[in-house]
Amino acid sequence: MKIDFNLNGVQVSVDKDPLSRLIDVLREDFGLTGTKEGCSEGECGACSVLLDGKLVTSCLVPLGSAIGSRVDTIEGIRDTKLGSIIIESFANGGAVQCGFCIPGMVISAYCLLSSNPHPTEDEVRLAISGNLCRCTGYDLIVSSILDASRRLA
Amino acid sequence: MNYVAFSLKQALEIRKATKARVMAGGTDLMVSAQRGEGMMPRFEGDMLLISHVDELRHIGFNASGELEIGALCTSAQIAGDSRVPWALRAAASRMGAVALRNCATIGGNIANASPKGDLPGPLYALDARVRLLSVDGAEEMLVSDFILGLKKTKLKDDQIIGAIIIPKMDEWFDYIFWHKIGTRRANAISKLTVTMAIKLDQQRKIVEDFRLSATACGAKTNRSREVESLVIGKKVQELEDLVAPVQEAFDKVISPRAMPVFRRTATKNMIADFFSRVARLPEERNME
Repeated sequence: MKIDFNLNGVQVSVDKDPLSRLIDVLREDFGLTGTKEGCSEGECGACSVLLDGKLVTSCLVPLGSAIGSRVDTIEGIRDTKLGSIIIESFANGGAVQCGFCIPGMVISAYCLLSSNPHPTEDEVRLAISGNLCRCTGYDLIVSSILDASRRLA
Repeated sequence: MNYVAFSLKQALEIRKATKARVMAGGTDLMVSAQRGEGMMPRFEGDMLLISHVDELRHIGFNASGELEIGALCTSAQIAGDSRVPWALRAAASRMGAVALRNCATIGGNIANASPKGDLPGPLYALDARVRLLSVDGAEEMLVSDFILGLKKTKLKDDQIIGAIIIPKMDEWFDYIFWHKIGTRRANAISKLTVTMAIKLDQQRKIVEDFRLSATACGAKTNRSREVESLVIGKKVQELEDLVAPVQEAFDKVISPRAMPVFRRTATKNMIADFFSRVARLPEERNME
């Protein structure tokens, strides 16, 4: 089935089964390997992307659900103003250890700060509650997101 | 072959013609079918994706004053809508984490008929009905009748869940209790969830109505009208004395498998907590 959607601001089209996993299409068909696969069951948040601005785990999204929608991945948001501020804060704040969870963490932070530029610490923790970090670096991730928030004008 | 429907009419026609299994948000079915990185998920038989059927996405009151929640309403949508009774909002707000709540639907949570499903508990207690649609017409039944057991429902192979209907509820319950026990705050699968509701008479002395449902303690969500009848008609001051008989009666509803002692003790504590709080007639109506 021909599937049309907007990927990081560009109209794209693929011919795939509508029940293919969105993550596979992003990684295999478009080479966007910033989106990581961790648990394959929506628990870890490593595969987080935005679907029409909403945070979703792309391992659980059937490709057909993206028809006519906009998908934003880490590759798409890293050059936006907000995306680059978050990434800089993560780097400066020592938020990154092994790095595997970080694209998902950045997407969740981006999603939060887009709608709530000045969240409380609790709101930050809730926003990343679906993102697991096995290096246990949550505190530095949270403080980096709060730092990004402070740097937003 | 897998299908995508873009309207309700198209969805019902495809369902009737192909009997393809319905997928809404995909948060349960994509997990059970996944085979790993880069692999096409493996489904038994054809699938019909209905996530684009916008007609099933509304929340609103119908002409009879009942609240209708479209089958494709997500947990995030339900959690954020103040017209939805609190216990259901609370349950929706604690399903999975943010990303899952943006995809998981109320129709899917019911159709999946997991004994640990988050939404059936409050829906049972609220006497909610499910509306089933097909090319040939619609039928309604209680959610508690629709779910037969572990992963089993009364959904016919030409039907799609259209909406969940919650009976009229202005000043319906004076006190509602909902508590989910999970291993963590986010992404927790219920180990035990109890929903209770009490309506008092105008003098706030007599219990006019009582509901009690429990999730994750048997093959399906449990509710026992026999147990509820022990409390209905009793005085508020008697509530604390009723904890033991209610627990004893509800014990029989709890499955003897998988941590029965834990579930019995925890249920007992929750009943005792709710009854003792209500007996003091506090201003706070929603209790967790």
